[in-house]
Amino acid sequence: MRHKREAKITSPVISLGDDSYRLMSIAAFVGLLGIGAALLISLFLGENGGFKRFSYGYLVNFCFFATISLGALFFVTVQHLTRAGWSVTVRRIAEILAAAIIPLFVLFLPILLPTIMGYGGLYVWNDDGWTTSYAGHTLTAMEKLKGFYLSGGFFGVRSIVCFVVWSLMAWFFVGNSFRQDASGDVNITARMQKYSAPLMILFALTLVVAAFDWEMSLSPMWFSTMFPVCFFSGCVLGGASTIALVALLLQRSGRVTDEITIDNIQDLGKLMLAFIVFWGYVEFCQYMLIWYANIPEETFWFKYRFANSGWRTLTIILLVGHLFIPFLFLLPRTLKRSRPFMIGATIYVLAMHWLDHVWVIMPQFGFDGKDTAPFVLGLPELLCFVGLGGLFVSAFCFIASDRALVPLKDPRLGEALNYTNT
Amino acid sequence: MVATQTHGHHSKPHAGHGPESELVGLLAEFEDQDALIDACEQARLSGYKKFDAYSPFPVHGIDQAMGTRRTMLPFFVLAIAFGGVALGVGMQWYANIASFSPIFPGYDFIISGKPLWSLPANIPVSFEVIVLSSAFATFFGMWFLNRLPRLANPLHRIERFKRATDDRFFLMIEKNDKQFSAEQTLDQMQQWGASAVEPVKLDLTDHKIPLSLRRAGLVLGLLLLVPPAMIYRAQHATNPAPRLHFMPDMDWQYRFGAQNVGPIWYDNREPKYFFQDKTVMRLPPEGTIGRGALTTDIELFRGIKAGTKIPDPTLVPQPAPAVAGQAPAAPVLPLEPEWVTAFPAALTVDQSMVERGRDRFNIYCTVCHGYAGDGNGLVNERALELAISSPIQKGATSNAVWTKAKSLYDPTVTIQPVGRIFDTITHGRSTMGPYGSQISTRDRWAIVLYVKSLQAARAKEPPLVTPAVPVATPAADAAPAKDAPGSSIPASDETANKSDSPATDSKGN
Amino acid sequence: MATTVEHHVDNTIERPGERAPLVLGGLNYSEITRTVCDVAERPRPPRAWYIAFAISFALTAMFGVLIMHLFLKGVGVWGNTSPVYWAFDIVNFVFWVGIGHAGTLISAILFLFRQNWRTGINRAAEAMTIFAVICAGTFPGIHIGRVWAFYWLFPIPTEHLALWPQFRSPLLWDVFAVGTYFTVSLLFWYMGLVPDLATMRDRAKSKWAKIAYGAFSLGWTGSARAWHRYEIAYMILAAFSTPLVLSVHTIVSFDFAVSQVPGWHTTIFPPYFVAGAIFSGFAMVVTLLVPARELFGLKDLITIRHLENMNKIIIATSLMVGCAYGIEFFIAWYSGVDSESYAFKNRVFGWYYWAYWIMVICNVVIPQLFWFKSIRTSPWLMVIICIFVNIGMWFERFVIIVTSLSRDYLPSSWTYYQPTWVDFGMLIGSFGLFTTLFLLFCRFLPTVAISEVKNVAPKTHHS
Repeated sequence: MRHKREAKITSPVISLGDDSYRLMSIAAFVGLLGIGAALLISLFLGENGGFKRFSYGYLVNFCFFATISLGALFFVTVQHLTRAGWSVTVRRIAEILAAAIIPLFVLFLPILLPTIMGYGGLYVWNDDGWTTSYAGHTLTAMEKLKGFYLSGGFFGVRSIVCFVVWSLMAWFFVGNSFRQDASGDVNITARMQKYSAPLMILFALTLVVAAFDWEMSLSPMWFSTMFPVCFFSGCVLGGASTIALVALLLQRSGRVTDEITIDNIQDLGKLMLAFIVFWGYVEFCQYMLIWYANIPEETFWFKYRFANSGWRTLTIILLVGHLFIPFLFLLPRTLKRSRPFMIGATIYVLAMHWLDHVWVIMPQFGFDGKDTAPFVLGLPELLCFVGLGGLFVSAFCFIASDRALVPLKDPRLGEALNYTNT
Repeated sequence: MVATQTHGHHSKPHAGHGPESELVGLLAEFEDQDALIDACEQARLSGYKKFDAYSPFPVHGIDQAMGTRRTMLPFFVLAIAFGGVALGVGMQWYANIASFSPIFPGYDFIISGKPLWSLPANIPVSFEVIVLSSAFATFFGMWFLNRLPRLANPLHRIERFKRATDDRFFLMIEKNDKQFSAEQTLDQMQQWGASAVEPVKLDLTDHKIPLSLRRAGLVLGLLLLVPPAMIYRAQHATNPAPRLHFMPDMDWQYRFGAQNVGPIWYDNREPKYFFQDKTVMRLPPEGTIGRGALTTDIELFRGIKAGTKIPDPTLVPQPAPAVAGQAPAAPVLPLEPEWVTAFPAALTVDQSMVERGRDRFNIYCTVCHGYAGDGNGLVNERALELAISSPIQKGATSNAVWTKAKSLYDPTVTIQPVGRIFDTITHGRSTMGPYGSQISTRDRWAIVLYVKSLQAARAKEPPLVTPAVPVATPAADAAPAKDAPGSSIPASDETANKSDSPATDSKGN
Repeated sequence: MATTVEHHVDNTIERPGERAPLVLGGLNYSEITRTVCDVAERPRPPRAWYIAFAISFALTAMFGVLIMHLFLKGVGVWGNTSPVYWAFDIVNFVFWVGIGHAGTLISAILFLFRQNWRTGINRAAEAMTIFAVICAGTFPGIHIGRVWAFYWLFPIPTEHLALWPQFRSPLLWDVFAVGTYFTVSLLFWYMGLVPDLATMRDRAKSKWAKIAYGAFSLGWTGSARAWHRYEIAYMILAAFSTPLVLSVHTIVSFDFAVSQVPGWHTTIFPPYFVAGAIFSGFAMVVTLLVPARELFGLKDLITIRHLENMNKIIIATSLMVGCAYGIEFFIAWYSGVDSESYAFKNRVFGWYYWAYWIMVICNVVIPQLFWFKSIRTSPWLMVIICIFVNIGMWFERFVIIVTSLSRDYLPSSWTYYQPTWVDFGMLIGSFGLFTTLFLLFCRFLPTVAISEVKNVAPKTHHS
């Protein structure tokens, strides 16, 4: 017969300890090096280079890491909203990832500042007369219509509001959670639960704004009401995969080995599976509705992703690799319950999530305003990944420092340790 | 332990032969689930294999205690789900593409400009088919693996066991188990904390289905035969009654002519009008003309030479009888207008027009005139056949009559100017119906061109009369079909008819 | 899960770390069985049941008569007219399909999320799903005009074995989606019923009850090996039903969104329709269960906590729907497409402004009252709010369908649609059909999933 586990932490090592400082400095160094290299290479690339190229590569990777952080923030909020018990042991990792949105605010400046100062290389709407770049037409009405909304200043205001909301949310959840480690006060949980509902509303609204601003407005003539939902599905998928990946890597390094059970990992795998399918669902709906109605104002966005053979290949890779393959390998229970397998699976899914952002952002780089865009993807994007990835890891280590990687005195810790999966 | 209270009461003819019941196993009762789990664990550890636990709800941890292996149901469902993919996609492919199939051909039809095979549009139905087949697989697979439905089970005869679906927990060890021995197993069960132990017995006396059920089944079976019998009868009988009209309003609706005056419908026999002036349709406002409906180019739209007198159409059907004393036939002819002999200037006569003409001809004309234009189309042949074989109706002197479709190589046809052929297609002649409303003006001209080309081609082989209409050379501007002897129309005018601007009707139809 | 069992405990208060009890009144297993079975076993139901049944049955009869009237006279008896070819018939269809979404959501999605409180309400909600889908299926069934040719919708060659359905048409997707949904919901519901039917079989006194419950319970014994496969099968069905429930309203939304009608062609329609469907479905469950638990003495099994949780889902989905309204308006402006922005202006200020404002007030404003705990835990107030939600959701479909169609791309054909008495009669009649079926279900079948509730009830120990 099964006996109930006591709600106690039994792992010998539950924090990064001294490693955090070492890892933090190495990662920060690598990160800065990566970004510097990306900038240099972009500037020397010539035709497909310049600061514009760097901005695009930077935006891809910024969106990638920001969505991970936002996904983790969503995860934390929704666990409190639903009074979840199962996730307590992995929630701390999610909280630290969510708190990384605060340093990410600083990392957003290379996009924000040029845009506010009127740089139109990344966001074409920042150039005067941008509408002429669309099929050679001068759509002054359109310029007037969107001029107020799509302007550097208002874009900046919106971005800052979004980041402030997220930072405060992360601050609230992380701070309270750490405080509970010390005091074990049950009321802290009650308070977080109480505020999770209104915070969720703020989160949803800001996420919609961010999705429209950061990615959809790259192609300012195009519009799709589904776009924020697609962006959101990527957030949750990236968040869940990263939480699982971090948990597995920590356990590999001998930390929190007892607390994060295989049932936790399996559940995160289920969550990934669910959002793989959800991603496929929303992306399919968006594509299918535009394809079926066949209105030129909407179809061109897909057209230049299909016209160039490079982008077309990436589209197919995403369809197969982001939907069918992970669906199949995340389906069997035995695979989801294998730690080594799940490390590979999470890395794979994150790679696909990265390509998803590439697919949304990069074709805009060389878009000719009609129906084609050259395939541009290479070293600057990868170096930006190294750079932002390094800084992201560094931020994670900085926040984690020598704090516990699992909530020590959460009232539902026992529930998390004892539940079994079917 | 009251075990066999209900058994054996059914009187049995051969009561003396053999045992009335057979031991199947021992059933132990437990009062809560923890005791049951413990007992299951003990049973497994004691080496029992054929045992099962019964509980009013799924007890957690009992699978490990019993050592139950995980069911293969998920793999079965997965296999069926993949079958569902093939079924869903295949069905749609077949239904909307496979028109080549000799039996139950698919229906390839283009809608909303989408290609015949448009995968995005096929995904929703494929998905539903996958879910449906997998759900069936799960549902029926589960019952199959559980050997259910099984309505006759010795356990149901045990009064105590009725609480297995309420609040008691049971463990049964089967007699077939190698470890089983009536006394020892009973001892063990009591040791494991059973509150009661009872033998489970299979009643050997009563294996027959009750008579009432058999009778009901017979009646049902007979009733099931009724619908097929009725269908059979309906297929092999004639019925003078008119067929059922579900919606008489739709089956017998009022007709009204396009520009007529009259009621649109009747509400309880009271005529209802749509417009105040009781017309059924609005007339276009005075002095206006619909887009593309300008038909001033008389050569193009009527096939009549511009500038010539157009006979009043109402006068046309007034042949001879009016003038009794004179010879008939002759006076009708002057009413014929002067047909154009060359193709109107608004048309570009080239190879594509011939092709278009062939295309239209094959759709509209071949049924009667045949593909080669010999007047031996399918409808024509079949109608002749029917006419010859039809019984002579009462009061009639001969069989039904069918006017044979004309061969286009008939001399009376080959001499006709193009305008006349155009007019025939537009308005029909004798039994041939009008096609003006079905075929657009330019297409009718294309057919004329094709007919002329056919005639020209045929004329080359036997030494017939007519010269060629230029077919393959786009440059040649519709040389007039030059005339056989006896043509009443002078083949004089060339392409001089530019009185009506071709631009006015450039939209055509 | 549950730790304390007291008689008058407020289980809406949950201290983190302890789970609030889901079964109140200190019921043990056999009392749970008795409480549920009593509804079906008592010789006659309460008088209120008879009154409700009489009214609903009369309305159902009226529905039937109106359908016959429609068949004999044709669809002209409705107010549908060019260009509003879809009106009450499709509004009712979408409305009822939406209502049907809560059942599968509760039984499948909440099951996958391990929400134990679903056990008290899932049976009734699933039954409601099936009845709602029956009502929903009726409307497209009768609006096809030539109803006797309904089998043309199925994938069989018709008309001399040569005509197949057109699989690229969203209307055909509906046939498959709703058909699949009905079938799978029925299988799911029946599978859940089998153990409970076995309970009723074992308690049955009369011969007919024994035969009926005996036959439909398939000889279920509650064997642990059977339970094992049963639970796996239940999980698989739940895993399939979850995307299914999403797909159904998604496909219903495709009916509109694949077109180019302004106000219909919006890519967010699929998730937005699904959220709306869950919203209205939960409101209907609350509306039905509050009187049912009063009437049949199920207050200890369908507790205030159950209702409160449903109300929380109602707020959440209300906000999602509200957010989708907002996004639609934003994009209508942002897109710069004249017809789009006109369509949305027309919704708010046009001829049908009243429908729009009823929709917004009922769907977005009124449910916010549930932020107050006192409101979301008082049964009769929540019924009133939920009725408003259902009115609002009906009007949402009305706004989408009628407002958009009455102002299509061709101004010369613009019209003001007015329903006829037959339209209203059919709407009311469909409610009659729905409640008739639901009342019959309450009378003859276990309204609460007995075996599942026992699973979350405190363990019964015998001394």
